[in-house]
This record gives sequence, structure tokens and C-alpha cells, in this order.
Amino acid sequence: MFLRHLSIKFLSPISRRLSDSAVVLEAKTGTYANAFKKFEDLNKPTSEESEPFVSLLKNSKFIDLGDPEGKVVTGKIFHTVDDDLYIDFGWKFHCVCPRPIKNASNYVRGTKVRLRIKELELSTKFLGFEKDLTLLEADCQLLGLVQERSK
Amino acid sequence: MLKIKNILTLTEKCAPTIRLLSSAVPQPSESTTQIETAQIPSDLQQEVLKHPDYFQVHNLFTVKDLFDARIHYGHKEGSLDPKMLPYIYGSRLGHTIFDLDKTAEYLRRALNVAAHIAYRDGVILFLLRGAQNSHLVERYAKECGEFAHTRFWRGGIFTNSEKQFGAVTRLPDLCIFVNTLNTVLTQHTAVRDAAKMGIATIGIVDSNCNPNLLTYLVPGNDDSPVAVEMYCKLFKEAILRGKAKRKEHLEI
Repeated sequence: MFLRHLSIKFLSPISRRLSDSAVVLEAKTGTYANAFKKFEDLNKPTSEESEPFVSLLKNSKFIDLGDPEGKVVTGKIFHTVDDDLYIDFGWKFHCVCPRPIKNASNYVRGTKVRLRIKELELSTKFLGFEKDLTLLEADCQLLGLVQERSK
Repeated sequence: MLKIKNILTLTEKCAPTIRLLSSAVPQPSESTTQIETAQIPSDLQQEVLKHPDYFQVHNLFTVKDLFDARIHYGHKEGSLDPKMLPYIYGSRLGHTIFDLDKTAEYLRRALNVAAHIAYRDGVILFLLRGAQNSHLVERYAKECGEFAHTRFWRGGIFTNSEKQFGAVTRLPDLCIFVNTLNTVLTQHTAVRDAAKMGIATIGIVDSNCNPNLLTYLVPGNDDSPVAVEMYCKLFKEAILRGKAKRKEHLEI
């Protein structure tokens, strides 16, 4: 009881002083305060228009996919070298698949294809290296053209 | 001493020429009075420098744009450089994911620097290794009237330029590394050389890169063509804004 009383006694003059100073500050707004108010929001990213990264990632197709191994995705051929098809399927890396024997002439640049993902990045650790060596490629199996299903 | 002498002769040689917003060969002006009128007033320069975001680079992109350009994808955990840990949001089944809120902050800072250097008539050099995206970067560099080097880097282009080119050479004022790796394991030699020569560098660093020698780093994916195009587009826009303001202030 006694202690509580003491603490109140000690605190009260300080709090009063603090509130007084706050009133003074509000009363005269200096040029610095004005400038601060003006430029306060300048460095903030425009998060009002754009969602934060966390919710973007949470609602993305990449998270929906779950474990990518064995999943079927659609990709687009963006380059061909002889019988190698370079396919972009929305991941960091492209994948390279051999041209199938069936309907070979249909696999041209711009064609949409179906793929089964084996591995998203071809990288492993080798003896004598501290870091993984990566081929900068994904590993997928080409299943066929996208249009085949809808026909 | 020799170096200082060379710089002096260089400034004398450069004095009657002014580089006007292009990578074209500078045209010598007729009289010295013309140069004096072509200077931006110093109070205006101070105003530009003191403003936290004079060229409004913060509205060039949103986090959603970066997300759509796949900038958050990193390499597998096994190739992660521990120095990149502060910029990484987490790992999704073994693949590192960058925190784009942080990337956006760093990218805005880098774009601001690029715009300021363009405004002050600096020479900007885009660097990249890897055949897949080299034409893309060269095209964007050309579009904003700056320079690109996307081929094999001969050692000493910066550090031994006088011998290599047979004359006093103006080095770039800013190097923008669209990726900082030569191969999967070794860093681009120009990162080290630029640091040696005191040239400011902006670098896109993926999860397997070392950011130590870069002045302004931007953590993010440097492999996908979509991401590379996004960086090029943003830097081009920032540089063009800087140049447009310069044109406006010089009243050309």
C-alpha cells in the first residue's frame, strides 16, 4: 500500500511535465515539422496499390503446386536447336527436352506443351567444391502438345 | 604524380567537348562560352541532390511487378552464399525465395543512384555474362544511349586501360552488373576491377553470389530472361528520367 502510494507521488510530476511539452510542440509547428510531414511518406514503398510480398507468395501458383516433383505443368517453346526444344514454364530456369518422334513438325517456337516436372534445378554437390554445381536448367519430361487434350 | 598529370591533360582535352545524352562521339563545341551556358546552376544541383527521390523512381514498379517477373526465385539451398542470408525470405522445398519487400527497397535505391549519375552526365556501363540474355542487355543499353559489355572480359580493361587502349581513357562512372557471375562458381572480374578503380557498382546478386565488393546490391533472380528484361527496363527508364531532367535544366 505504502509503496504504491510512493510510486504515484513520484510519477505524477514527470507525467504532467511530459504532457505540457507535448502541448507546446503541437501549438507551434516549425518549418522542420512541416517539412517532415511533407516528406514523411516519400521513402515508403507504394504498398497501397501493391499487396505485400508475403500474401503474393502465399496466393501464388508456385505454392499451390506443392511438391513440384511429378506435377504436370504447361510450358511454351521459346527456342529450338536442331532437335532440342527449349521450354519456359514459368520457373527460374527453362528446361530442354528432345523433340518427340510423333508429330515432330508441330513442335515449333511459340507452341504450348505439357510437361511433367522431374526436378526444378539440376544441381548437385561434387567432390572438391564447397558449393553446388548447377546446370542452370530444370529437368522435365515432355508429355505432348496442350491442344491435344481439348480436341 | 604521373597519374595526376594524366588526369589534368585529360580534363583539358575533354573540356571543349560535352557529351549530350547519347553514346555518340562527343562533338567539339565552337567556343568556350557555350560550355559555360551549358552548366547546370549549382543551387539547382544541390536541390536535386538533397531531395530523397528527385526522379520519382519509387513509382517505376510495384512489388507485384517484381513478383510477376519471377525476381523472388533463388537457387537451391546447396549453392546459397551465407552472405545473402539477410535478403532471403525462406526456403520452399529446398529452393531459396527472396524477400521482395527488401529487394524493392534496394532496387529503388539503385535506380535512384543510376538516375542521379545519368543526370550528372556520367558514363554508365551495363555488364552481363551468359549468351542467353546478352543481346537483350545490349539492346536496352543502346536504347538509353549508354554502353554494354556482355562478352569475355579481358583482365585490365579498367586497371590497365592506358596501356590497353594506347591513350588516356575515360572509365565508366557507374557499372550495372545484370549478373555478377562469370561462370557458376567464379565472380565477374570487372566487379573486382571496378572496386579497385573506385567505380560505383550496382549488382543484381542471386542467392549464389557474393555481394561484398558491390556498392549498391539488389538481391534477386539473375537467371530468367523475364527478370533480366525487368531490370533492364527499370534501369533504362531511370536513366532516361535523369537525362530528361538534365535536358530540361540545361534548357536544350
